[in-house]
Amino acid sequence: MSEPDGPGLAPRAWLVWSIAAVTVALLTENPVYRVLVALAALNVLLAWLPRERNRKPLGLALLVAAILAALINVLASHTGADVLLRLPAWLPLVGGPITLESLAFGGALSLGLVAALLAVAPLSLVLEPHDVVDAMPASLERTGIAVATSMNLVSGFGRTFVSVRDAQQMRGWRPRGLRSWNEVLVPVVLTAIEDSVLLAEAMEARGFGAGRRTSYSRNSWTLWDVAVVVSALAAAVLFVGARLAGVAMDWYPYPTLALPPIHPLLVVGCLVLALPAFRRG
Amino acid sequence: MTRARALALGLAALTLGALASLARVAPVVPACAAAGAHHAAVVVQHGDGSVASRCVAFDASDVTGEQLLTQSGIAWSGQTFGGFGDAVCALDGEPARYLDCPGKDSYWAVFVSSGGGSWRLSNVGISSLTLRDGDAEGFRYVPSVGNPIAPTSPAGVCRAPVSAAPSADASSRVTAPSPPGASPPLSSPSTLRTSAGQIAVAAATAGIARTAGSGTPPPSGPDGGLLAASVAVGALAGLAVLRLMARRRQRRSAA
Repeated sequence: MSEPDGPGLAPRAWLVWSIAAVTVALLTENPVYRVLVALAALNVLLAWLPRERNRKPLGLALLVAAILAALINVLASHTGADVLLRLPAWLPLVGGPITLESLAFGGALSLGLVAALLAVAPLSLVLEPHDVVDAMPASLERTGIAVATSMNLVSGFGRTFVSVRDAQQMRGWRPRGLRSWNEVLVPVVLTAIEDSVLLAEAMEARGFGAGRRTSYSRNSWTLWDVAVVVSALAAAVLFVGARLAGVAMDWYPYPTLALPPIHPLLVVGCLVLALPAFRRG
Repeated sequence: MTRARALALGLAALTLGALASLARVAPVVPACAAAGAHHAAVVVQHGDGSVASRCVAFDASDVTGEQLLTQSGIAWSGQTFGGFGDAVCALDGEPARYLDCPGKDSYWAVFVSSGGGSWRLSNVGISSLTLRDGDAEGFRYVPSVGNPIAPTSPAGVCRAPVSAAPSADASSRVTAPSPPGASPPLSSPSTLRTSAGQIAVAAATAGIARTAGSGTPPPSGPDGGLLAASVAVGALAGLAVLRLMARRRQRRSAA
């Protein structure tokens, strides 16, 4: 864990929680359940996010994903009873009526993306890469290392970009059109390739691929870990069971907007996903 | 770890209990109920304003909207939309043919009336609707643009249930009758669901008003699920705001 002070959760408990929350968020198209999962995950993230971690990249990613998903649906889907405006018909794909129903459905899609992103965010923002590797089952050890390495490369890529841009600006470079960015992007790509070669050599020097991964200390499970895992699994099983039982849990706003159907038990299922937030008051 | 196991077992038992309560009521409606203990009305209002209504009897405590429509004997075909349920594509011969469901120009809007209350636009497909004694299921063929207008009032459709099952012809239709039991010709592929059974029409009346009950009345009573969800969203959002404020305070004090 990146914040050693105070009691933590076992990495495997985090992994189970994340998978369960993503399952719930993607198993239903109902915006109410998706809002609940997103809020539960947000509370968990705010409770556990180390103070030194920057929240802005995650916020930006959520905003871009949400806007894109909603915008694509609004512009591409022209069905619905309530027409907000009409785009000229000669416009390819986007031409036609823009409806309130497509806007609502786009919003529901965005909520699904936001909820899923917030559910997996603790794996990169709360856990250290080696924790993620530890959380994986033994058979997925290599996959875990690949995931952890790629997560490291993304942030490394961002850091390199900022440092190269600053260095170029100190040398008098100013952005003038798309072509001028070559002077930043080429060094960034070259540095990234060099970094990945260095990483591969370092991993090989430390015995990567030579045998099973060993660890100095083992994480002991507490009552909280068990409670988090059981409650997360219960929420996922509840939603899967509801889907199999044929409970109305989706929402379809076409052709006329109507309130989504909500089952109180499924609301409770979403709420228990917020349990890890209460580990830290 | 004993406490942990007990907690795990307790939560697992709770989950199983919750799943059991989620399970849908089994379709226990008899295939040919001459007269059941309970009755629910089906009102179908066509695009030209003509109305067909049926009173359907059933023995179970509740039935799905799909079961009720099938038992009414009115020919219909639909399409399944995942967890939303089945949408009605063609009903009582309207439209005669279709390619899109719901239709691009007009579609069948589904309404529900609970316990003699006013019509409420359904937010799920007919297979996900649950109707009980005294309820009514309404359909109106409405244009795709604009808010759907509710069908004519179901009052009087189940006025006097009789014990013997009359033929489907006893049900009423004001104008342009379509042959009962005739499935509309469809041009859509096999994903469509068709029902043309005339099974359990227990009693039908001729109490039809062409215009009565038009207009979309306000929904009747608050939804328990919606109320629970509102409270949950409010609580989680409030907690998130409090946490954000606490983090900001911590940052300021650290700086």
